[in-house]
Amino acid sequence: MTVWKTSVRNFLAHKGRMALSAVAVLLSVAFVCGTLVFTDTMNTTFDKLFTISSPDVTVSPKDAEGAEEQPGNGKPASLPASVVQQVAKADGVERAEGSAFSMAVTVVNSENENMGSQTGAPTIASNWTKNDLRSMEITSGHAPRGPTEVMVDADTAKKHKLGIGDELRIIAATGDLRAKIGGIAAFTVTNPGAAVVYLDTATAQKHLLGAPDVFTQVLVTAESGVSDARLKESVAAALDGSAAYKLQTQKEAADANKDSMGAFLDVMKYAMLGFAGIAFLVGIFLIVNTFSMLVAQRTREIGLMRAIGSSRKQVNRSVLLEAVLLGIVGSLLGVAAGVGLSVGLMKMMSAVGMELSTGDLTVAWTTPVIGLLLGVVVTVLAAYIPARRAGKVSPMAALRDAGTPADGRSGWIRAGIGLLLTAAGGAALWVTTQADKATEGSMYLALGVLLTLIGFIVIGPLLAGVVVRALSVVVLRLFGPVGRLAERNALRNPRRTGATGAALMIGLALVACLSVVGSSMVASATEELDRSVGADFIVQDGGAGRPIVPQAADAVHAVPGLEHVTDYAFLKAKITAPNGKTADEGITAADPTYQQDVRRTALSGDLAEAYGKDAMSVGEDYAEKHGVKVGDTMTVAFKEGKTAKLTVAAITSDDTNIDRGAMYVNLTTAASYVAADRMPQNAVMFAKAEEGKEKEAYAALKSALAEYPVYSVQNQADFKETLKDQVGQLLNIVYGLLALAIIVAVLGVVNTLALSVVERTREIGLMRAIGLSRRQLRRMIRLESVVIALFGALLGLGLGMGWGTAAQKLLALEGLEVLDIPWPTILTVFACSALVGLFAALVPAFRAGRMNVLNAIATDG
Amino acid sequence: MTTAVTIPRHGGTGGRTAVAARARQVVKAYGTGETRVVALDHVDVDIARGQFTAIMGPSGSGKSTLMHCLAGLDTVTSGEIFLDETEITKLKDKKLTQLRRDRIGFIFQAFNLLPTLNAIENITLPMDIAGRKPDAGWLQQVVETVGLAERLKHRPTQLSGGQQQRVAVARALAARPEIIFGDEPTGNLDSRAGAEVLSFLRKSVDELGQTIVMVTHDPVAASYADRVLYLADGSIVDEMHHPTAEQVLDRMKNFDARGRTS
Repeated sequence: MTVWKTSVRNFLAHKGRMALSAVAVLLSVAFVCGTLVFTDTMNTTFDKLFTISSPDVTVSPKDAEGAEEQPGNGKPASLPASVVQQVAKADGVERAEGSAFSMAVTVVNSENENMGSQTGAPTIASNWTKNDLRSMEITSGHAPRGPTEVMVDADTAKKHKLGIGDELRIIAATGDLRAKIGGIAAFTVTNPGAAVVYLDTATAQKHLLGAPDVFTQVLVTAESGVSDARLKESVAAALDGSAAYKLQTQKEAADANKDSMGAFLDVMKYAMLGFAGIAFLVGIFLIVNTFSMLVAQRTREIGLMRAIGSSRKQVNRSVLLEAVLLGIVGSLLGVAAGVGLSVGLMKMMSAVGMELSTGDLTVAWTTPVIGLLLGVVVTVLAAYIPARRAGKVSPMAALRDAGTPADGRSGWIRAGIGLLLTAAGGAALWVTTQADKATEGSMYLALGVLLTLIGFIVIGPLLAGVVVRALSVVVLRLFGPVGRLAERNALRNPRRTGATGAALMIGLALVACLSVVGSSMVASATEELDRSVGADFIVQDGGAGRPIVPQAADAVHAVPGLEHVTDYAFLKAKITAPNGKTADEGITAADPTYQQDVRRTALSGDLAEAYGKDAMSVGEDYAEKHGVKVGDTMTVAFKEGKTAKLTVAAITSDDTNIDRGAMYVNLTTAASYVAADRMPQNAVMFAKAEEGKEKEAYAALKSALAEYPVYSVQNQADFKETLKDQVGQLLNIVYGLLALAIIVAVLGVVNTLALSVVERTREIGLMRAIGLSRRQLRRMIRLESVVIALFGALLGLGLGMGWGTAAQKLLALEGLEVLDIPWPTILTVFACSALVGLFAALVPAFRAGRMNVLNAIATDG
Repeated sequence: MTTAVTIPRHGGTGGRTAVAARARQVVKAYGTGETRVVALDHVDVDIARGQFTAIMGPSGSGKSTLMHCLAGLDTVTSGEIFLDETEITKLKDKKLTQLRRDRIGFIFQAFNLLPTLNAIENITLPMDIAGRKPDAGWLQQVVETVGLAERLKHRPTQLSGGQQQRVAVARALAARPEIIFGDEPTGNLDSRAGAEVLSFLRKSVDELGQTIVMVTHDPVAASYADRVLYLADGSIVDEMHHPTAEQVLDRMKNFDARGRTS
């Protein structure tokens, strides 16, 4: 009970000194809880949407594409319309409706602007069925009638200011359909962002599926009292158990839809939790420092407790109890902040076009429990070592003149262990760069990263001594005696400086590592583009990667001033090598001009001959694996067509990123085995301008594709720029998430300084008494802060560049051949950390300056 | 008892006056209304240049407050304090800091030295802060007089209490301040170490012409001074020139007796 009382008293007495530790716990817990609430809410939203919109039983063709797939020829797999009547006759069926829908469409307005989502949500065109009434209601106008009318969902209408009578164009593989909006229907559940247009059934069949008497699905509604499972059985019976169809109950259909969504959500969830984990790790340093300093400052007090009879265990426990209290307070606030954070995230997603409703906000009971547990456990773990140290305080400490706690020495054993770990990590990283297998290398990379990180943390105090001295030669000496005082202060407790710097090091190491990998990616790709790409222009759907509809391809072919245009499609096939091994492979079918567009090296044979009739090429790895030589015959069973016997005319080098391992055939060869309406659309198109007409051709291509806004024309410069932007965007997101860890680390610097100022009150008073001006005092604290921040930055950036370089050497096996260290980024980060140091010292320096000289001198201990 | 104290007036002899510091009608009060406590009650005092002055008095008499005010560490409620011809009661913090740095030396009872600096760095700190170069010859002389030549590279934690105080004295002397204030500089030392420090202070007055003001409650310490001022209830009630320890002790006993009977 007394332990409890002293803990609570101490906690309350030092609440100011614990405030920043509490904030660190709060931030980390908030991030974890925010992530959980946000992903749970997204799950709820999709769950509701998919469950409500799914019929009791869905019948679809066996080979129907999954939600994530695109039909190669632009027309979804379908079943005959007669199946609807067949199903309708089954027992327990109230209603069976044919649904004709496609997600391989683009909807544009009269200004040729894409009406679809920019966030990856699909654009769906469908016929209007009674089933749609489950999740939608018509709010104005009426359901589409005839081929010239469409109905659009209310969210899309609102976003793009569409009204009844406005014209839309629906671009599908079968052609463009122009129609006027005749009605608007609103979702009765949250629609996270899909754009939906409804057509009249005949129009949907003809325009989306390319035939008048087919449907994509049969939607079955049960009579009342008939369970979904029973309905599924009776429908299966009515279809004679035909293996050509796939039957799903409402739950199965919703689950299948959710699985494709869930994978994405899981990736997001675990990535964000990973970043929260890093923030926790950084927070540990802050908490360790706080408790170490509290214990040091209380040495005399603890000595007194021991002198009057407290056991080590009691002292130890009283410190841990304080940690528990800190953990509880921080986590509770964190859980609340986490819910707020998730609402903020939802608002942010809404702003970029992904609608989520706070009505669906889902806080599972596990969320606060996880948050609280994590917060408390991490805090107590972090306080464990300082608590043990408190337990070791001798009763004699009560009698000693405490003054400032003795300088902590870094300790040679610790340094030895740290050096050993760092050396082992360095060796692992070196092995990584020499690895010739990616899997093996990545294990060494992970090991190397982990060991060097731990090693650096362990030798942090030792490094603090070396680095701070070096830094002070360069920076602090400029500031004369004030600089020297700052240097001494930063050095007086290397453990504290080491831990504070290490916290910053972790975040910055990741930043440096990723920036090296990212910029190496861009440099490698650019280098390869320069080396192997001969085409002037590339046409593709840069966003969703949809194939190019024939009418858009025709528009490209019609552009004047082009020396050639290359069609490029991708076919699925079962390929049997001469050694009898059969596997599913992809085949690249292109015009022979493709050889000029993307130059490939033939290791044997002649690539030009591979574009001859019934000829093909294979990649180096495949050839090696299956013992294929030029002149061998391959058996290629096209998925949508007949089986062909093709002769291998060339083996291409796999030392490339573009089309690595691709097997090439001429488009005409592919077309002779696949029916015209099953031929896939172009995945990409390439073009080369006539000599000297590059500019005109570029402009002409752009205007030719203006009607098809999802496809972009890029010249080589655009392409490189886009690549750079994409990598840059990805890095920015990661940096944004790492910002949390860096903020916690900066709080750590503030915390260390603030507690140091408290600890050095008497010293500050003395210095002020003998003539140190306020300005000099503040400068001294700022310089100390800058040196700590630069120390952390130097370690972090150095470590990160080492990781990044090792990672690049490893990824060189995968084609990341150019190492590019982004010096501007690295130097900017370094300079910014000096600013961060200044910023962190703001409050502590202000408070130190405001101290009353006399009171400071009179302060006890 | 209200013994009138004659305040010695030293005539101006051109240049520096013979008075190093003087206080006029200084009042220092804490709180307001009923809780108002007067620590200094219209104190007038002159500190003679080149003399060793001790301030004595029972606890709560205001002796430390008087020293803090004279040294520009504390502000006064009313009245004026001059250091030489500078009225320090009018100075803002910045000027006051400069004045402490350049013209005043301090020796505190404990915690005089920065633990991160070694002895010589501590000694030259005020000059370093001011951006001045210490006078090498003088520094040498000071260091030798305090007998620390062997220990200049030692950190405070490696020095004994007496040695630490001697470093503090050396620091106070090194910058050649107009006046050195000591706040019970031997309060934390045993009698031998205390005697060392005190003789050294005495020597710096006799040989170097230093002006020193020291607050103490130790009659033996006070006996090293040229002049002892007695404070009681915020007023100067008595003074004594060239005292011996016995005289001081008697005087103090008198206070104690009076304190008990009143």
